[in-house]
Amino acid sequence: MSQYLCHDFKTPRTDMSRRLPGSMRVVPIFFYAVALATAFFVFNDMRALQQAEQDRLAAIARKDEYLAAKTTLDSEKTTIDAELFRAEAVAKWVEGTRVLQPITVAIARAVPLETNITELNLERSADLPAQVSMLVRLNNSTLAEVAKIESSVNRLHYRSFSPSQAKQGDLIEFRSMLVWQEH
Amino acid sequence: MNGKKLACVVLMIFIGIATYAGQIVHQKAAAKRTEAETAESDANAAKSELEIAETRTTKLRYDSDELRRFLTAWTPHIDRVQTQSEVEESILASLRNASMLILSQKFEVRDNRATPVIPKIVRASLVLEDDYAKTLNWVGELERRLPLARMMNCRITGGENGRQVHAEITLEIPLINLLAEMPVVASATTKKPSA
Repeated sequence: MSQYLCHDFKTPRTDMSRRLPGSMRVVPIFFYAVALATAFFVFNDMRALQQAEQDRLAAIARKDEYLAAKTTLDSEKTTIDAELFRAEAVAKWVEGTRVLQPITVAIARAVPLETNITELNLERSADLPAQVSMLVRLNNSTLAEVAKIESSVNRLHYRSFSPSQAKQGDLIEFRSMLVWQEH
Repeated sequence: MNGKKLACVVLMIFIGIATYAGQIVHQKAAAKRTEAETAESDANAAKSELEIAETRTTKLRYDSDELRRFLTAWTPHIDRVQTQSEVEESILASLRNASMLILSQKFEVRDNRATPVIPKIVRASLVLEDDYAKTLNWVGELERRLPLARMMNCRITGGENGRQVHAEITLEIPLINLLAEMPVVASATTKKPSA
């Protein structure tokens, strides 16, 4: 049998520490609560962190994709602009290349056989190539021929500006500025 | 301080460390979320810019279609005359084919500074004397053969006899460079060097 007394509750025990004060008893409970809360929040934050990283990478990839597409469009715009620049220059030139031969033929056909065209001069304006200065000298003719010339030129869609005519005996000099008119 | 109190202090230290670590992770997550939101907003801005560029390019493509088709239609004519010798050859061949009597011919190249698309212009001055109908037919044929030629002057007077005419013709034929680039306009916002 043991030598120590087992049922002596009155004698103070020297081999045991004293009880904790009441305020400190909540510390272990608080520790577990904080440990659980921290685990919960850290888990959530880690998931949010991973999700945010994935979102960030996806957004960067989309941005790069948009920028690449925009670069392609910008390059296409540059190409079109350059093409337009060339086309406008060519169109501007072509605007002043309307054929003159039909005018000469129309004038020749407008005058009767007995009238001589002593001179026919068509001169294109250097600054405004769409405008053509016309000079016709007729011999043995009347002013009626001038009207015929004007109407035949009008039929070719040229409008006659500031026409002037001078008559000296049988010689008639007719000057006019011809401007092409769209239909 | 007994062992129980010491254990409480250690637990409180653990509580502090856990709270601090939790805050750090939370701040990191918040910062990463902010970064993701910024990247998302940048992507949306890039998308808006792309949509604007798409609209602008589509409009430009649509608006310029006619002019670009015009250029495509004229390209074969432009490619046909690229040098002075090709212009001369073309004009002289048409004169030979029509058996025209040439009194004089002169070809000169002039620089054109108006546009880089037409850097040079060949000016052909011809004096001819031949049958009236033949001459006018030749003029028509030349204008058909060289549609880019600009007849600057056509003076027709009487020839040696009643059937003949004396024609003085000046033509300008452009040597077009279809690879010409648009001139770069200097930016108005360019800073001037300080004195």
